[in-house]
Amino acid sequence: MYGAAVVAGVGESTYYKRGGATETEFQLACIAIRRAVADAGLSMADVDGFVSYMDRNDPVRLSAALGTGDLNFSAQTFGGGGNGAGAAVTIADAAITAGYASCLVVFRALAQGQFGRYGRAGGARRAGGAAAFTAPYGLLTPAQITAMQTTRYMHDHGVTQDSLAAIVLTSYAHAQHNPRALRYGHPLTRADYDASRWIAEPFHLFDCCPENDGAAAIVVISRDRARDLEKPGVAIVAAAHGLSRGDGAAGFSDVNFPTAYYGHVGRTLWSRAGCGPADVQVAQFYENFTGPVLMAIAEMGFCEPRALNDFVADGNISWPDGRLPINTSGGNLGEGYIHGFGNVIEAVRQVRGESTCQVSSVELSLSVSGPGYAPGSAVLFGRA
Amino acid sequence: MAALPDDFTLPLLTAFNREWFTSGTLAIQSCAKCSTLQHPPEEVCRNCGEMTFGTHVLAPTGTISSHTVVHYAPSRALEGSVPYVVVLVSLDDEPRLRVVGNLLDAAPPDVQIGAPVTCEWTSYAGDDGAAIKLPQWRLA
Repeated sequence: MYGAAVVAGVGESTYYKRGGATETEFQLACIAIRRAVADAGLSMADVDGFVSYMDRNDPVRLSAALGTGDLNFSAQTFGGGGNGAGAAVTIADAAITAGYASCLVVFRALAQGQFGRYGRAGGARRAGGAAAFTAPYGLLTPAQITAMQTTRYMHDHGVTQDSLAAIVLTSYAHAQHNPRALRYGHPLTRADYDASRWIAEPFHLFDCCPENDGAAAIVVISRDRARDLEKPGVAIVAAAHGLSRGDGAAGFSDVNFPTAYYGHVGRTLWSRAGCGPADVQVAQFYENFTGPVLMAIAEMGFCEPRALNDFVADGNISWPDGRLPINTSGGNLGEGYIHGFGNVIEAVRQVRGESTCQVSSVELSLSVSGPGYAPGSAVLFGRA
Repeated sequence: MAALPDDFTLPLLTAFNREWFTSGTLAIQSCAKCSTLQHPPEEVCRNCGEMTFGTHVLAPTGTISSHTVVHYAPSRALEGSVPYVVVLVSLDDEPRLRVVGNLLDAAPPDVQIGAPVTCEWTSYAGDDGAAIKLPQWRLA
């Protein structure tokens, strides 16, 4: 079975612009983890394992530095990047449900100012493997790769630049309510969006996630154990990660190209949860780039691809009156880019009633991780 | 718009891609057992699991399946090359096979999904004396 685990606490470091952190990435991880454990009402000695994705901060080093209890579990997901956030929560749920651990920290720390930049690549003399077929043509970065997916998707389904802009403007508008957000106090207009330089068409600068320094963490324990804590836990109703058969081959040779790798994840998630997109009150869609967000909305089953323009127009995805408010913390674009783990925390906060753009009467709150990279992953949170 | 600088990244030749990058033809990887064509090459046949391969030459024509115009140079070496056009080409002989390349001498308004293109090869000096011939595309 799945879903015997709950989220007992959330925490994050201060989020900084890239290069702005005064702490090291490892220190940021420790700060976020300490805050999440304190928020849960637990002590560091209760923690017995760590789960992450694409992270450099080793659980062995963390356990010693933080003074955790005996270490019972550590794991990290495979796959390209932010697509692993929900997968990491899936692993934590599996480990808690199976009894391999009793109190897991799921986290991501990312100080891009202290390591390589995601938007810079190339210049190597030779490219091997699948990159041999793309790098010599200057196709190197996530922005460029997802631009290739998005161009074809927009063509096939009549998706407009207005819809890309709607994702950006929604995140920025929501960030204006969130004092933790890096873009708090920095509203963005459609004219600003249109005037911003192209990165790789159809993406303007503002279609692309920023680079930031920070860390975010949650604490996952069993539903039974959460009954003893002061704050009610937030249920992991269901989680899913994976991809459809025949997708995931290199060089855009997926059977379902162009895909954000969320069709299978969506079907699996709704099947496990015993409900569907119409039952969700609020959703966080990881914004690496705006195009894949739109693809993920459709692939998760919220609307047909042809209906995407209407789905995101006219404030339909905006708090407080939209039919499905998305990215209510400001998301990766507005709050900060911690490889999408902030989106997971925001989905939990919506169930707790602690969001700065709090949707009323939230029963089910969805977090969808990085689209356009496989395997995709998603988590549905609800009241415990 | 031109191709990228002569000293930009070139493919690392392996047993799996040598024919594609040196023959000056669209030599697609072909399974020695079941003749399944796959691109880019993989070390295992996705259809039958075989690990030995030959190649099968397809016609050097296709249509644009997708594209992007790159304006932000991802590395210093490309700062003099932006904007450049990257295309994904669906091959006429086998439309499910898609090949990445640059579109030569075309301005953005001409870069349209469905536009027919032909392949040509740009030669570079390889590491072991073999010339690397990189497939590139031009509007037909």
